[in-house]
Amino acid sequence: MADTLTGKVAIVTGAGRGIGRGIAIQLAAEGASVVVNDIGGAVDGTGESVAPADQVVSEIEAAGGAAVANYESVATMEGGENIVKAALDSFGKLDIVVTPAGILRDRMVFNMTEEEWDAVIAVHLKGTFSVVKHACILFRQQRSGRVITFSSESGLVGNTGQVNYGAAKSGIAGFTKVVARDMGRYGVTANSIAPRAQTRMIATIPDIARQGQEDQLPSEQETMDPDDIAPFVAYLASDMAANVNGQTFLVYGGNITLLSQPRRIRTIFKNGRWTLDEISRLAPTKLTQGLVNPSPPQPPRQ
Amino acid sequence: MGDMLKDKVAIVTGSGRGIGRGIALLFAEEGAKVVVNDIGAAVDGSGGAAAPADQVVSEIEAAGGTAVANYDSVATMEGGENIVRTAVDTYGKLDIVVTPAGILRDRMIFNMTEDEWDAVIAVHLKGTFSVAKFASILYRQQRSGCLITFSSTSGLYGNSGQANYGAAKDGIAGLTRCFARDMGRYGARANSISPGADTRMTATVPDTAREIRAASGIQSASGAQPIRLRREAEDIAPMVTWLASDAAKDVNGQVFHVTGGEVSLMSNPEPARTLSTPGRWSVEEIAAMFPGTLGMDLVNPAPPQAPPQAPRQ
Repeated sequence: MADTLTGKVAIVTGAGRGIGRGIAIQLAAEGASVVVNDIGGAVDGTGESVAPADQVVSEIEAAGGAAVANYESVATMEGGENIVKAALDSFGKLDIVVTPAGILRDRMVFNMTEEEWDAVIAVHLKGTFSVVKHACILFRQQRSGRVITFSSESGLVGNTGQVNYGAAKSGIAGFTKVVARDMGRYGVTANSIAPRAQTRMIATIPDIARQGQEDQLPSEQETMDPDDIAPFVAYLASDMAANVNGQTFLVYGGNITLLSQPRRIRTIFKNGRWTLDEISRLAPTKLTQGLVNPSPPQPPRQ
Repeated sequence: MGDMLKDKVAIVTGSGRGIGRGIALLFAEEGAKVVVNDIGAAVDGSGGAAAPADQVVSEIEAAGGTAVANYDSVATMEGGENIVRTAVDTYGKLDIVVTPAGILRDRMIFNMTEDEWDAVIAVHLKGTFSVAKFASILYRQQRSGCLITFSSTSGLYGNSGQANYGAAKDGIAGLTRCFARDMGRYGARANSISPGADTRMTATVPDTAREIRAASGIQSASGAQPIRLRREAEDIAPMVTWLASDAAKDVNGQVFHVTGGEVSLMSNPEPARTLSTPGRWSVEEIAAMFPGTLGMDLVNPAPPQAPPQAPRQ
């Protein structure tokens, strides 16, 4: 047992399996008391089971740590409030919120149903807001706290067949940057992780999507163990990272990468409104030259 | 009348007022037939009226252009489908979809209600998907088409008091990047505009929020320029019109910031610095390495403030 997080109380959503499980176990090993939240659903969000959360709690307790299971859905405000309440009821306070809970419903945009869109937005985007909002009420009063959310290259870069997931994950990055600015003055930090890891969620991505992101995937040699994400999350959650706020990090295997914030990289300017003629003349040579179409037109199938 | 969009059919959501109105007017001036969609609501999304959309259609027709009004809400899939159907029923096809429709419900995160969250996510994020999805069905069949969505520096950079709006707007950037990858192979494309303009929407950002930001040393995204330049709603339209035209047929998956006379290409988040180890990092190793490497010049955008002193009795 290390002591980086001794005396801290943490919530980890979706902690019954995969990346969340690794984080819950690591935070507990660093001395935190952990609310292990997991609805125990399938990758597409269907079904429920207490088993995954219970099992992680057992693992933590067997290793001498402190944890309590919670089975609420993050997709409702009541669920988010109850998860925060579980931390207070069991451990008397809350210091850290980590939100990897997520599902996948991949589909090309022209075939995506309303239900597929709504389910992914609800679990990821509202499921981040529902917990973070209630945590921030406490964090503001106590003038401290850590928010660590989960974004994805699917939204930050773009990915085929994931317009719902990409929207949710990029939305979480934007949400986190706002929370950083709302809460920083109260001594709270909010940062986002874009993880790469081999989990049961990734195993559901259709091959067509895999082909679209070949250039983003690490080579075979690089490890993709979900437990690799946890050490950096533990660091961000600790007092040592008190001034790291509003950032997005790409984490996989032994790699931790600071991602740049979007910024203006080419600009045309005039003092007044551009005419369409002027834009037509300048944009191709001053703004859009050399840009690569990420999905160039293909000839129709014969 | 120009001819940059001659024979094109376009939908512009939220085009009864503000940025959308400017786009609808310029599109029509360049020869496009335009579906002027607007529910005619207040900035917070409440109420509804046919007047704003009708008035823009009248303006377009008075100038010799072609337009039809539509009053459906973008916030439901049925609304999105009806808006697309209006284009097909009235003009027989659809080439361009532009989605500036939006509302604001600003609040600090710890006070934000579920209603404030849901309403903003519904109109912006689902309201972009609802129209884009039905357009993509046509685009795939005709192997062409253009989507121009509206993001914001509130999400790209982060802006205090806008957790709902920032989430929606950065979410739209992600949606757009994914749409670009789904549809590029079919000859369609998608780009996003992050606009800066003085409209009735920005007029609702409370002065107290501006003052708090200024007092905290937080530079608001829109106030980043040391000199306040003119930035009118109509300034956004020329770049959108160029992007919608065939002249920009190879531009796909990008975000452009447009405000006043400034047009910028935005970068996507990309690797800036990396810490790498052959196995798994330990927390202790990260603690030793991070401050002098990845963390060396990170600036806290909202540094901790001393709590306000209780007033002396």
